[in-house]
Amino acid sequence: MEKSCEEIREMLVDYADGQLSQSESNKVAEHLGKCKNCRRMLDALQRSLELAEVIWEDGLGETKEIRIPIQVKARKIRWPRYAAAAAGILLVVTTSILWRALVRPAKKELTFTEIERKITESASAARLLAAAELLAEYPDAQSIVKEQYRYIVDTYPETAAAAKAKLKIQ
Amino acid sequence: MRSVNEINPDFAAKAGQAASEQSSKSNLDIFLAELGRLKRIVAGFGLSASDGEDALQDVSIQALKQSGKYRTREDGVRWLIKVTVNRCLTEHRRRRSFRRRACEILKRKTETKTHSNRADEKAIVAEELEIVRESLQKLDDSLLGPVVLRYFCDLNSKEVGQILGLNPSTVRSRLREARMILARRLLERGVEP
Repeated sequence: MEKSCEEIREMLVDYADGQLSQSESNKVAEHLGKCKNCRRMLDALQRSLELAEVIWEDGLGETKEIRIPIQVKARKIRWPRYAAAAAGILLVVTTSILWRALVRPAKKELTFTEIERKITESASAARLLAAAELLAEYPDAQSIVKEQYRYIVDTYPETAAAAKAKLKIQ
Repeated sequence: MRSVNEINPDFAAKAGQAASEQSSKSNLDIFLAELGRLKRIVAGFGLSASDGEDALQDVSIQALKQSGKYRTREDGVRWLIKVTVNRCLTEHRRRRSFRRRACEILKRKTETKTHSNRADEKAIVAEELEIVRESLQKLDDSLLGPVVLRYFCDLNSKEVGQILGLNPSTVRSRLREARMILARRLLERGVEP
């Protein structure tokens, strides 16, 4: 049975693209031999694709100007940079911890002997200060008293008596 | 008109070879290797050089982010084409594509001496070319993608379907619809091919 123009036009694109079976292709060719309108449509299909290709090829010429910056590739090798930074930070932290552990001066602890020495010195200084204060009541002994205060300051500088003696001299 | 075989032997051979081997390359390497084909897609969608550069930059960044996700090179290539098509369609929706007028295209063709210098023939071609350019510009997204991939990138209906997520029969029907639109517009404007 002969196909109508409408049916043939449904097949024209596939016919132009070589997608039809041999028998279908023969039917279309037979119809085209007799129908001017369908021939015009086939010509228009072919011509429009040719012109589209002209437009596409022209655009392709323009894409030669497209440059993809090389930085895109450089992104790939950023990990070593991050790794180096991380290693640097790790090194600083480790060094700091080691330094604190090994180099930090140990806290000085008082020994019993040291405490005993300090008590003895404080007692001696307090005794001498008491004696000097007694002598200070006599106007003739003022020079001796001052010498006594100076002695306390020089000999037992870390004691409370030395601090009092210093005030007396001033 | 050039005859277009449904199955492009070159592509099929490449795809077969690629499918058999596991990809050791990253998506960015595939992107750089396939840049020529991606530029062809950009041209097919009628993007200008600057818009095309933006589009391909975006695609390259996406390729970086997706590195190592695809088992075979073929999968990677298919994904790249899909991303590029989607990016180009975004530009097409903004109606920024196919901006270069027919007279500019013809002038360039004349300069490269690939076209007849006969004035009357040039005038007819310019008119026809402008009609097709406008038709491509107005073509729906769903039709332009298959047309570009099929007729300008030489992929067959099955490959186009895999990339666009369509059945091959749907691809064929869209191709038919798009081709008929282009042809009818030529005839409607009284141009006799």
